[in-house]
Amino acid sequence: MADQHQQNTTISKAFPVKPKLKPKPRTPSKSPESKYWSSFKSHQIQNLISSIPSIAFSPVPSSHLFAAANSASLTFFSSQTFSPTSSISSFSDVVSSCSFRSDGSLIAASDLSGLVQVFDVKTRTPLRRLRSHTRPARFVKYPVHDKLHLVSGGDDTVVKYWDVAGESVVLDLLGHKDYVRCGDCSPVNAEMFVTGSYDHTVKLWDVRVESKKSVIEVNHGKPIEDVMFLPSGGMIATAGGNTVKIWDLIGGGKMVHSLESHNKTVTSICVGKIMGQENGEETIQYRIMSVGLDGYMKVFDYAKMKVTHSMRFPAPLMSVGVSQDCMARAIGTSNGIIFGGKRKMKENEEKSELRDFLGLGSVEEPQRRILRPTYFRYFHRSQGEKPNEGDYLIMRPKKVKFAEHDKLLKKFRHKEALVSALTGKNPENVVAVMEELVARRKLLKCVSNLDEEELGLLLGFLHKYSTMPRHSGLLMGLTRKVLEMRADDIRGSDALKGHIRNLKRSVEEEIRIQESLQEIQGIISPLLRIAGRR
Amino acid sequence: MIRGGKNYVSSPPAFSNDTKRLLVCSGNAVSIFSTATGLLITSLEGHTALVTAVVVAPATISASKILCYCWTASLDGTIRYWDFSVPELIKTIDIKFPIYSMVIPSILSQPAENNEKPAKIFAYLSVEGTKEPEKQSKALCGQIRKCNLTDSRLVGGVTLAETKQPELITISSCGKYIGIRIKRKLHIWKVPSADSDRTMAKKITLRHTKNMTVTAFHPTQRILAAGDVTGRILIWRGYGNRTFARGDGGRSVNNEEERPGVRGNDDADCCTTWHWHAAEVNTLFFSSDGAYLYSGGKEGVLVVWQLDTGKKKFLPRIGSPLLYFTDSPDPSLSSISCADNQIHLLKMPSMEILKSISGIKLPCSFPETYKGLCSGVAFDHNAGLIALRTENYSIQLYSLFDDRGISEVQVCERNHHPGDDVTVVVTLVTLSLDGSMMITTEVKLAEEGLGGLVCLKFWALGSDNRKFSLSTVVYEPHRDAGISSIAFHPTRCMAVSSSYGGDFKTWVCNNGIQRRDQVLTSSRWTCHAVASYKKKPMTAATFSYDGSVLAVAAETVITLWDPDKNVLVAVIGETLTPIVSLSFVGKSEYLVSASWGSKPQLSVWSLSKLSISWSYRLHVEAIASAADLSLFAALVFLPKSSKSSESNETIFRGRDGVILIFNAADPVPSATWLVNKAKGGALAFLQVNQSSVEENMFDGKPLGSLLAYINGDHEYILFEPHGKEANELGTIKQEAVPDLEEAGKFGYASIYGELPESNLKRTQTSAVVPFVPSEKLLETMFSGSSHNLPPLTKLCSAFLESLLEKRITVSD
Repeated sequence: MADQHQQNTTISKAFPVKPKLKPKPRTPSKSPESKYWSSFKSHQIQNLISSIPSIAFSPVPSSHLFAAANSASLTFFSSQTFSPTSSISSFSDVVSSCSFRSDGSLIAASDLSGLVQVFDVKTRTPLRRLRSHTRPARFVKYPVHDKLHLVSGGDDTVVKYWDVAGESVVLDLLGHKDYVRCGDCSPVNAEMFVTGSYDHTVKLWDVRVESKKSVIEVNHGKPIEDVMFLPSGGMIATAGGNTVKIWDLIGGGKMVHSLESHNKTVTSICVGKIMGQENGEETIQYRIMSVGLDGYMKVFDYAKMKVTHSMRFPAPLMSVGVSQDCMARAIGTSNGIIFGGKRKMKENEEKSELRDFLGLGSVEEPQRRILRPTYFRYFHRSQGEKPNEGDYLIMRPKKVKFAEHDKLLKKFRHKEALVSALTGKNPENVVAVMEELVARRKLLKCVSNLDEEELGLLLGFLHKYSTMPRHSGLLMGLTRKVLEMRADDIRGSDALKGHIRNLKRSVEEEIRIQESLQEIQGIISPLLRIAGRR
Repeated sequence: MIRGGKNYVSSPPAFSNDTKRLLVCSGNAVSIFSTATGLLITSLEGHTALVTAVVVAPATISASKILCYCWTASLDGTIRYWDFSVPELIKTIDIKFPIYSMVIPSILSQPAENNEKPAKIFAYLSVEGTKEPEKQSKALCGQIRKCNLTDSRLVGGVTLAETKQPELITISSCGKYIGIRIKRKLHIWKVPSADSDRTMAKKITLRHTKNMTVTAFHPTQRILAAGDVTGRILIWRGYGNRTFARGDGGRSVNNEEERPGVRGNDDADCCTTWHWHAAEVNTLFFSSDGAYLYSGGKEGVLVVWQLDTGKKKFLPRIGSPLLYFTDSPDPSLSSISCADNQIHLLKMPSMEILKSISGIKLPCSFPETYKGLCSGVAFDHNAGLIALRTENYSIQLYSLFDDRGISEVQVCERNHHPGDDVTVVVTLVTLSLDGSMMITTEVKLAEEGLGGLVCLKFWALGSDNRKFSLSTVVYEPHRDAGISSIAFHPTRCMAVSSSYGGDFKTWVCNNGIQRRDQVLTSSRWTCHAVASYKKKPMTAATFSYDGSVLAVAAETVITLWDPDKNVLVAVIGETLTPIVSLSFVGKSEYLVSASWGSKPQLSVWSLSKLSISWSYRLHVEAIASAADLSLFAALVFLPKSSKSSESNETIFRGRDGVILIFNAADPVPSATWLVNKAKGGALAFLQVNQSSVEENMFDGKPLGSLLAYINGDHEYILFEPHGKEANELGTIKQEAVPDLEEAGKFGYASIYGELPESNLKRTQTSAVVPFVPSEKLLETMFSGSSHNLPPLTKLCSAFLESLLEKRITVSD
């Protein structure tokens, strides 16, 4: 009924001038997960010297801190502003790896001289120097549930289990036949860890085992670049070559899935989280994030076994890290740039965090006052009420929004409309207004009425866009007409002559491009003909 | 048989006394609409030609408000008196002249003496006096005559005026004055208060320098308004003071000097001019209290003038030129009739539109250069819908069975101003076989070679609401070349568009990229293949019934393609002039083509032999083929030249088209009808589905398939093309098309001989020659080019049999 009424009262509708539709990309619109991953607002940290082999986020979310190894120093960054906060440079060689302790107060770092050092994060003083590796140390890791020990590995193929307090090696684990490059400690068990080596194998170690032999060994088939435990602790992911493989440790080291979406070597993997809300409860979904030398970061859903997001960076990527609350992400490249990413916090999250911070977790809501006619709000009561399921909605007819040029077109002030569109930023709108003027048979009249300054504006626009294939159909013809009609004015003004020079240049460039394209076509078409004959 | 698509705005409508009904002249009938709901209540049928005037007898006392009597006048030369509540015809007065306008002053001026015997009612008619030979010679065929309605006769010897054409008579609301306008003059008569056969009305004339288009009388004062072609409104005050004053009781004649604006010796006090309208004024009306003047014109804006001050108020954006303004006895309700076949009911002081009565959209005018590119209409064969292009860049979907509009689709989002020169044209529209998809093309005309654009749009019907939504837009599908035709694949999501630029493209719809976790409803159309044949302009395209063959006409030859592989299968041809339309004949092996130009041709091609089967030299406006039969119907437009001969003139009598039904294998038409206004007409076979069968029973039998014919004025008729029995066919013919001749006078009887009664049956059962040759056959049989003639074997046997035995029908 309301609909019908509306139809009756509005006889003739008013339409704003709209640009031509753009072709939509063939790929479907972004999935929610894709949106989530691209919602990280990007920051670039550029003034670092060389490649970033390791990035570690502090396990304490409130500290908003991450460390990046870079040349012979270890730099701390705030994960909120992505600005460097402090730096440790008491290394004699290039830092290869770093790892926070589970409480975030200490950090361990290894360098290529074979030395492993433990620093206080706040004071940046070296507390312990663990020297036992005879060749460069490649990784160091704090166990998740253990504050007293460290695991490290290096080019001497030995995996060492350290007692940090006593600066002594508890266990030398032998078994790898090539450089040990990476390792990770079990998230559920303080005594178990895995290491990966260039001998294509990943070994699971248990320090409780007397024989000092690996518990499980899996062969990846390529030199291992990175290995990590998945949050359940029962599975590991290994990166080597251009594949990421997932292994089931509880099932005896069986391969679950092999992911071959990178084109070059995968250098680093880490666990990403998706914080979602479903039915009012917070849910956390885990993803494997992998980066490679091909410059891609891929997000892999290992529950559904498919890549859910892919992102391209303009440099080979070396390391990746995600903060504990998954609000920040940092990706290190081989040329010293860190691509940071920070997700916008929702307001209520921020507030709750603030409240947690202030220790006012349970502040009671102020009691609602009863509305009386003396209050202003009394007269607005229940106006914000949401409609119920069965309520009949009477829609207010949508008001058409008109831009400046639309309003001018409605008043038949054609030249002003064209000028207002030209002064605007959007070339699509300019072309749309021109098309409307063509439909009204007024475009050439407008052109003849433009004064010198406005003509300059128009020529500038034509210089920029007349060779764009999308608009050239209209604009090339218009350019010719403008030059014909306003030749005298253009001759009389130097500014306009400058525009014409620019225009000439862009047209010549376009002609060059077309000629080279024709050459290519000339080469290709006989080939195609031959191919078609077969 | 269903008829519809009538023009509601051919004549001004009239309100009933209780303002609950609106009487609208619609073709040969008067349709009565409810003003509360805007729906059709009933109609008064009886006139045999266009109804031109309807006058409701006004209620003299409040008790008689329920009285529902009206007079109607028509071009068939009769005035009829109706009780429209029942509805029932009470009286018919035959005056034998086509009536173009009628006013009845005496029922408006209330008789004071109620107890006396009622005074005689006189009507003033504007008639066309063609019957009188001396009138023809003088070329003054319009006459203003007086008619005594009580005695039902034309008053002899009283001819108020003779005009070149029949003019529209305007009457003042009190019934005292009537006026007509002839070019730059206004003639006004004062109706005698005691009217009788003998009394002559007094007459004055007012002059203006421009052609006047409309006049209106003030209800109480002696004020007259007239609009002219330039948009000026002239207001004469105190007209006729000298001439009419004596009868009124003596008012002094004004001073000769003080008559501003009055021309020459015209009888008026003063004349003022208002000018707002940019184009001609079409409607003028004084409000019932005389304080306001309503005017409207081509701009589609209703202007309200305050009569004393000249201040204006507007009701803008009606969207179509205004034709008539009618007020009702209730001062709060009035109606405006628009040129797009809509009548809007207005709530008066606020000028708010309460309801709209909308009919089928009338054909719109297009610039000459694009006339050839526009194909008229598209049919939804199952649902009985027709898609028409309208002036405001939209497509109206109109139900042929229900005679009402279903929906409108805005094809191009542009502001439409009536009266602007047309620069954007929706040229083609096609509906898919199931009616769920639509393709439209539009052309934006270039300004001095700048900014022309051809645009192809694919639409899909939403599942829940019956609305088309835009699915894909293709700009310049064939570069800058115009699109000559588009056609849907009968079974799949495939379409073809052919262009004058020398290529055609097949389009396929892929329903998005299917994803497991996501339902993608959006579908998009992409180009599947491009092909051309010797760079010739492609002028028509169609798919065969199963979609396995695509036929594309490359000017004079027909190319057959495999639409999937885009491979040329065969070429057949050729015709003398470019082919404009192609159609496969049902499931048979035949293909029909029609070409226009200097040598028009209707050709039937056999696909099995890849050659022409037979052809006629006829200008075919439209072809329709039945889905399952090997029948097709052709709408033939007969140009003036072919009707020149005396004998044909009597047969055609104004009709300019013929619908012929052919069996594809047989060049002899199995049925023939004569029709009006065939130019721009269209034909289609409609499938009657089970749901609508109950409503469309014909003589107690359900219909099989119906043939729909829509003429150039968008009036349409649905009828059964092949009745089971011949005499039934005859009755359909007579009833169905209003313009049909009596049996035996068919236009093609002279060429093909009379159709025997059991024609259709016999052609199906036996191969006997299906017609009885007449004398004319022998004369015309062997004349004409050879490919226009039926095959020699057929002719020969016909010829011989016509000589041997002439009583073949009787013997059967």
